[in-house]
Amino acid sequence: MIPLALFVVLGPVAGFLLLAGLPVLRRSGLAAGVVSSAVALATLVAAIVLLVGVEPGAAPVIAQIDWLPHQGEAFARLGVRVDGTSAVMGAVVALIASAVQVYSLGYMASEGRPSIGRYFAWQSLFLFSMQTLVFAPDLLQAFLGWELVGLCSYLLIGFYYQKPSAAKAAVKAFWVTKFADMGLLTGLVLMRWQVGSFAWEAVQPGWTATAIALLVFLGAMGKSAQFPLHVWLPDAMEGPTPVSALLHAATMVAAGVYLVVRTWPLFEASGVALHVVAWVGAITVVVAGLTAMVQDDIKKVLAYSTCSQLGYMVAALGAGSPVAGLFHLTNHAFFKALLFLAAGAAIHAVHSNSIWEMGGLWRSLKGASLLFLVGAAALIGLPGFSGFFSKDFALEALAESHLWGPFALALGGVALTGFYVGRVVVVAFFRRPAKERGRLHTPLVMTVPMTVLAVLAVVGGLLGGPIAGWLGGAYHFHVTPEGLTATVLALGGLGLATWIYGYEGGRRLVVLAAPAGAFIRSGLLDRFYETAWRQGLLVVAHAAGWFDRYVVDGVMNLVAWSVLEGSERTRRIQTGRIPDYVLAVVVAFVVLAAWGAVSGMSGCGSTP
Amino acid sequence: MTAWLSLVVWAPFAAALVLLLLPARASNAVRLVAVTGAGTSLAGAIAVALSYDRALGGVQFREYQPLVPSLGIAYDLGVDGWGVCLILLTGLIIFAGTWATWTLKERPKEYYILLLALVTGVFGVFSSLDLFLFFLFYELAVLPMYLLIGIWGSSKAIPEQGPFAFAYRSLHVGRKEYAAMKLTLMLLLGSALILAGILTLYWAGDGRSFSMEDLAKASISTSTQRWLFPALWLGFGTLAGVFPFHTWSPDGHASAPTATSMLHAGVLMKLGAYGVIRVGMVLLPEGAQAWAWVVGVVAVINVVYGALSAMRQTDLKYIVAYSSVSHMGVVMLGAATLTVDGWNGAVFQMFAHGIMTGLLFALVGLVYEKAHDREIFRMGGFGKVMPGIAVAFTLAALSSLGMPGSSGFVAEFLVFLGAFRSHPWWAVAGILGAWITAVYVLRAVRAIFWGPGPDVDRFPGLSDARGPEWVALYLLGLCIALFGLWPGLILDAIDSTTLVHLGRIVGPIVAGGTP
Repeated sequence: MIPLALFVVLGPVAGFLLLAGLPVLRRSGLAAGVVSSAVALATLVAAIVLLVGVEPGAAPVIAQIDWLPHQGEAFARLGVRVDGTSAVMGAVVALIASAVQVYSLGYMASEGRPSIGRYFAWQSLFLFSMQTLVFAPDLLQAFLGWELVGLCSYLLIGFYYQKPSAAKAAVKAFWVTKFADMGLLTGLVLMRWQVGSFAWEAVQPGWTATAIALLVFLGAMGKSAQFPLHVWLPDAMEGPTPVSALLHAATMVAAGVYLVVRTWPLFEASGVALHVVAWVGAITVVVAGLTAMVQDDIKKVLAYSTCSQLGYMVAALGAGSPVAGLFHLTNHAFFKALLFLAAGAAIHAVHSNSIWEMGGLWRSLKGASLLFLVGAAALIGLPGFSGFFSKDFALEALAESHLWGPFALALGGVALTGFYVGRVVVVAFFRRPAKERGRLHTPLVMTVPMTVLAVLAVVGGLLGGPIAGWLGGAYHFHVTPEGLTATVLALGGLGLATWIYGYEGGRRLVVLAAPAGAFIRSGLLDRFYETAWRQGLLVVAHAAGWFDRYVVDGVMNLVAWSVLEGSERTRRIQTGRIPDYVLAVVVAFVVLAAWGAVSGMSGCGSTP
Repeated sequence: MTAWLSLVVWAPFAAALVLLLLPARASNAVRLVAVTGAGTSLAGAIAVALSYDRALGGVQFREYQPLVPSLGIAYDLGVDGWGVCLILLTGLIIFAGTWATWTLKERPKEYYILLLALVTGVFGVFSSLDLFLFFLFYELAVLPMYLLIGIWGSSKAIPEQGPFAFAYRSLHVGRKEYAAMKLTLMLLLGSALILAGILTLYWAGDGRSFSMEDLAKASISTSTQRWLFPALWLGFGTLAGVFPFHTWSPDGHASAPTATSMLHAGVLMKLGAYGVIRVGMVLLPEGAQAWAWVVGVVAVINVVYGALSAMRQTDLKYIVAYSSVSHMGVVMLGAATLTVDGWNGAVFQMFAHGIMTGLLFALVGLVYEKAHDREIFRMGGFGKVMPGIAVAFTLAALSSLGMPGSSGFVAEFLVFLGAFRSHPWWAVAGILGAWITAVYVLRAVRAIFWGPGPDVDRFPGLSDARGPEWVALYLLGLCIALFGLWPGLILDAIDSTTLVHLGRIVGPIVAGGTP
């Protein structure tokens, strides 16, 4: 079991080192991609074998080596921990990564050869980093993987580094997530100080548990794009579409949810933390859902949708159900990766991201359209599709824990989801296109991975039982009032969108909603951060730099200047003219003589 | 007994002597001799690091030869775990530095002579156990900088502003001669304090020995310790860039030629920090305890204020120079915690920062040499024509912001662990500093290497690193990753020494005890 897990983690790093260390291979273009994809597929097989081999309820198997010494003993170790949770997540990650890498062989084929090599090198590095995080035996190693996936995200968003918007988005993503990671790092340090261990199970009840849990959750909010730290995710769509599918939809952004599942004992020990988690998740569901409704870029719709869906997972965690969180994470990984890849096929064919320039794809791009629709159905949660089961499970958990506020928000989010998905589907796929185009083509190497994901997006609901088993929980599907309400709301949103965007009569409603749409589009939060950056941090930095140059160093220079100036003045005494010196000698003689005489006289009296 | 340490210390000096005899025209022979001298030291340092017995710990490779027995002065060399780590760093940086300046055209002979003399001093400080010898080497390390910057340096126009603008005009602020003079005067002022401090220590002991071991055993009164410690802290601290006596550093490092900046920011600033800890804190335990909080607060200012000041800079060399001020603050922060993790982190940070900033200054030199410009916002898109430099720069930047997998992370993490234990807000401020670092280094990476371009009309001579320059980039780049992934290579040696030294301050530390 351990060798398998080690292979799942370390296999990709071998791929990365091959690509990074062999310039010949890296510059060979697709050969690099084939090597990287082959490694990913091999780790997928290993991950599945590993998952099947894990008995539900079995004790975790851990193997570690010493890493950092302290007083002659290691206090930090690296290794792998195999249990139900890590095996499930590891398999999901390996699956999506393999699908995306194979798909990329087609999608990225038109890039320059060195660029393809670079792309797959980062892909391999990402897979390694993600599995390091997934199989981490403790919070410290998870943090290492956590930062490394952040790095890969930065590098892959900035893949088109010559494009200013991509460069900006990459840096923004890094800054925002790194800001949140300061919380995680502080939590880590606090944990070592108060609990004396980084272990997943290490908990000390009381304020420490709450503080550490909230700090860990701050990190999770950054990586999992929760309100108000979600602003980087839509910009991250500047990366190539397969990257968006893998990192910014299916796996990396779900790492925050996974982290909370892993540190569950901490959250369980703190009611306050759980409440915060539930509310943050539910607010994100609605805010991101509303924003998704007005986006014109198909990838941005999907990006906000990802935020919103992550909100469901987070809210489910807040409701005390890690099973629901991980279940929805798994299903979301399938259908959202599928949606991105299918959208990528559409973008690839149409050469535009705008849904208004697409139109009529259903006729010209049959295969990819069908796949997109399957993903859309799962995302809305149409009965029978995977999203239906896991989303309902999350809602049920919220209802059961009597978190009625978050529950109401999450329920409203279902209608929003129906609406924004319906809008994209109608506008991009069924509306009459602006200009007629012939049949478009999607290469087989792109279609096959999408088909695999589509199948999983349909049948993902069946995974609820096994996942619950591996996590040591329970899941049985049954019809609930919440579920029925949600389905009705989803269909309502879908129907409204279809009416508005598909029929002349509904179009008037758009005009009515225009002010609201304009408000959402204006990006209030983004402007707030922009202001904080320009008028906050930059101003402070300028002040500090100026102060250092002209005040701190100014005082040093003043001292130096005073010495120079002082010597300049005193130097004048040395005129070099003989009469001056003679005069000085005479004056000195007179003064000394006078002084001697005076002191001599006064001295007479006191001499015994 | 093999005199490993003498080999490490004197090999560069011997090379400098050989260089004196060579004709200046034989520039290739000059470089070869310089590289051989530096390489011998590096090989010796690696041998010492590999054969240092970690289980045994303590001072090893001892060489003892009395020089002036009546005064208790001896040629007394030896290294403990810290020394091992720091001479290894020095070897790496000087070796990389000689390769990085391979293409230097102006007076290479004299340049290398001074550089090698300087590094002899650095090696000497890190392996001296006798304070008199220590101080001799210390001065040898500080003085050549004046010529190195004054002759081979570069100038920059600094606008005359602020309340003391009148002083800036007559001092010619921004000229290389100004930078050289400022650096030398400020460091010599520090040296004066150190000399006074060492003499006081000598007399406060029994007045018969300069040996650090003897002085550690001497009982120095609490009141003496209390007033002597700040003198040594400021004396050594000036070289470590302690606020507000850091202002020589940005100007000095920005004006200095490539290998000199590498050596100065990479290694020389560590002399200061090493002095504060090894002489100031270890020999004056009560003084250290009384003043630790001041050292810590000033260190926090260094970290945050240095990072903010770095963010304001648009000149590439100034960015890297200010980042050193900030990162040396991390070293001092670790030292001020008086905890095992903090001290391990402080020493590891000296190593990690040395490698990282050495690489950064090498890269800055390469970029400047090809672009003839240092203003980052005039650059852009350089990654397309210098991918190797871009990758190396990014790697160093990541180490600078504490990315796991790089040596910078291990160092900062350990320091934060220690800081949280002593004053939680120190750690929070330090972590904030790390975030600001992420902001300014990635901004620089983006401005230089990303974006459209490069503009070939403005920058006609752009190209990637060439031949010998790669040696420096590969060597230092690999070290960042190697020691980041496998810190145990040196950290266990550091740890065992920390236990001994820190035990003098906070009482005996049980090996393997609870934190």
